[in-house]
Amino acid sequence: MRPAPIPLLFVCVLAAAAFALAVGALAAAPAAQRIQGGRAASQPGPMAAPALTTPPATPPATTPPAPGPGETDDSATLPTPSTAAQQVYAAARADLLQIRMLLRNGRSQSTVGSGFLIGSGNLVLTNYHVVSQMALDPDVYIGEYVDTDGKGGAIELMAVDVLHDLAVVRVERHGTGFFRMPEHPAPLIQGQYLYSLGNPLDLGFAISEGAYNGVITRSFYEQLIFTGPINAGMSGGPSVTATGMVAGVNVSKRRDGESVSFLVPARYAQDLLARVQQQTARQPHPPRNFSPLIAQQLLAHQREMMDRLLAEPLSIKTMGPYRVPVRESQQLRCWGRSNFRAEAEYTLDAVSCAMEAAIYVSDTQQTGHVSMTHQYLRSASLRPLQFSALASGRFRVDRIGYSTNNARDTRLTRPACSEQFVHTATLPVRAVTCVRAYRKFAGLYNFTLLTASTDDGQASLQSRLDLAGVSYENGTRATRAFLSALGRSRR
Amino acid sequence: MSGPSLQGPSLHGPYYVELLARSGEVLQRQRVDSLPIRLGRGYGNDVILDDDYAAAAHAVAELDAGGRLVLRDLGSRNGIHHRGRRHAELVLDGDTVARIGHTRFRIRAAGFPVAPELRDRTLHRWEGALPGAAGTLLVCVVSLFARWLSDIQYFELVRYFEALAWGVGAALLWSGAWAFANRLFGRHARLGRHLFVFGCGLLALGAYVLLASVLGYAFSIEAFTHYASHVATLLLAGTIYFHLCTIRPPHRRRYRWLCAAMAVLGSGLILVGNVQRSGRFSDELYMWVLLPPELRVSHDHGIDEFMREVDGMKEQLDRGRGRKPGEDAIED
Repeated sequence: MRPAPIPLLFVCVLAAAAFALAVGALAAAPAAQRIQGGRAASQPGPMAAPALTTPPATPPATTPPAPGPGETDDSATLPTPSTAAQQVYAAARADLLQIRMLLRNGRSQSTVGSGFLIGSGNLVLTNYHVVSQMALDPDVYIGEYVDTDGKGGAIELMAVDVLHDLAVVRVERHGTGFFRMPEHPAPLIQGQYLYSLGNPLDLGFAISEGAYNGVITRSFYEQLIFTGPINAGMSGGPSVTATGMVAGVNVSKRRDGESVSFLVPARYAQDLLARVQQQTARQPHPPRNFSPLIAQQLLAHQREMMDRLLAEPLSIKTMGPYRVPVRESQQLRCWGRSNFRAEAEYTLDAVSCAMEAAIYVSDTQQTGHVSMTHQYLRSASLRPLQFSALASGRFRVDRIGYSTNNARDTRLTRPACSEQFVHTATLPVRAVTCVRAYRKFAGLYNFTLLTASTDDGQASLQSRLDLAGVSYENGTRATRAFLSALGRSRR
Repeated sequence: MSGPSLQGPSLHGPYYVELLARSGEVLQRQRVDSLPIRLGRGYGNDVILDDDYAAAAHAVAELDAGGRLVLRDLGSRNGIHHRGRRHAELVLDGDTVARIGHTRFRIRAAGFPVAPELRDRTLHRWEGALPGAAGTLLVCVVSLFARWLSDIQYFELVRYFEALAWGVGAALLWSGAWAFANRLFGRHARLGRHLFVFGCGLLALGAYVLLASVLGYAFSIEAFTHYASHVATLLLAGTIYFHLCTIRPPHRRRYRWLCAAMAVLGSGLILVGNVQRSGRFSDELYMWVLLPPELRVSHDHGIDEFMREVDGMKEQLDRGRGRKPGEDAIED
């Protein structure tokens, strides 16, 4: 194997530094990127709500960049691209764009992604997370496109779909008609070749070949699994079949996997394009401020999320004498953990259920998320006072109602809390509810409920419910349902 | 201080020339048997001043026509100063502090009346090893208790020894600093006394933390733990007060005010810090203390009652939404 020349490494490091933001954006988009399989074993420590754990960061620089011209033929280690890929790229390159977010002052780029012209019109499809800065802070950020020939121009944000992570922008040029979105596309077959296009790591436009591998149901909204490399910067680019039919829009990848990437299905993009066409017929200019629109979409999301969560009574699990409510579904996965064999005088069993996907709003804010945790703490040998100190320490949570790790998150109001000793049907608990409101999105709140049982001097059931981005009614509804379901079987 | 007048100063002394520190403490006292008293750097003087800013023959103290003791400048360059002003001739009573060059001094006759003796309230038996041992014992008890309370691992003696070492080390460091100050400003180090004060302070602090937790939990009065840091500040100020009184017992009243001011200042800083950090005055977002169920006194609420309180927060949150991040209302 040919050792990587040092200048190449250097470029990689530079690229990593320059596009940390873009990478962050891509990384943060779907919570699907979090580890699933090994989490219980690899993440000891306090039971933070899994939604708040950061995914393990793999620097993008470790991925070797696309081969340059002339390198492909003589290198035995690199696969020769298929003729199909060559044909697709040659046909698509005129309609392929890089979308950049620039700081208005100084016009320096802050994030980059990809996009593509639909048909022969002037509409460009991309990811919401590529243009989120422009949508949320139009006074600070401005967007531009660069095509494969290096020519650029201004972009105008037409519509966003935060829930599916899609956006449509308008440019002053027209497509050649390569990227087609048929009304009734032929169904994809597992194993079928797909070609993903975009500008990975701002290194230059690239095409990567991979296979379609079905629909993922773990995320709240459907996504397609694409087994092929997608890198930061390719977000918003198209994934097409060999005939040029758009199968989906590149959106994210799993950092813990190899070439496990995700696409937004084309039909959501079609819905959004249809909406844009209706909208432009009524009023030619898009809204300047997208925050109210995003708030509406988030409200719609939470309505459906909470209705699904509370459609039927929460299922009950048993932890020792306690009965705890959980919800286990395709979207809400539960993991168990125990301190068994640790050098401690107490036993801790924990169950935590969390949604694996959250809605990306900005690189520092994710919402539309539910998680619940139960810890059953007990000890036969600790004195009551010692056990109380242990339980108190566990009940003390520093970060509450924060959507990020930033303690002074100014996008949310300060928390308002209620605390009382409450008696559910069968269990007395200490209950604390803290709520924070979103400043930018009217009607949305983060709820946190903490409870600790107060019935036993040598056992403690501590539960936590986190709801991010819900309406007040839904927040209190879920809090009440969760609290009421906490119980204890008769001794 | 009202200056006691010299009762008929006479030519024949003895007189005492006292060189003073800025704090008023006597650095050196010299007896002179008769007037006039010559002061200067030269060896021909009665009182030789080791001061580069004094003339060889600087001044002379003698009786004037009215029978008062006066200090006269003998034509020096730097002169005689009293209360910031230069005097060619300065009438001295026993409390007049004159300055020649960098040297401050006063002259008192043998008949100068001194203040009555102070009443000795010091417990002389409670000095040295006895209170030192008691204080160390208190520190040991508190640190062992704290260690035991938080010990959730299998028993290991070394952890308790560690706790003891830390406790005693901290006690020695703290009390040692006070003893050093005591030696500097008083006469004795009184390390034992300071150890005892520290031990008592630590015990009071620990007892309050427990008491506040119990009261807050038992009666569901969260203010006990929400504002516990202010009581801790008060206890710390009290400890410092007793340390100060150990150094200078007569200044009790002054120290009382000083420590009260320190406590107020400390509490103010804590409040400001809390507001800065979390936007509320209280130390914590909620009471996180959990204690054995036997300690509960207040009754439990129903879920409906709790949810009503949660519903009540909406208005306040929506008001906060309209404000800019820096302009939030401060909460309790």
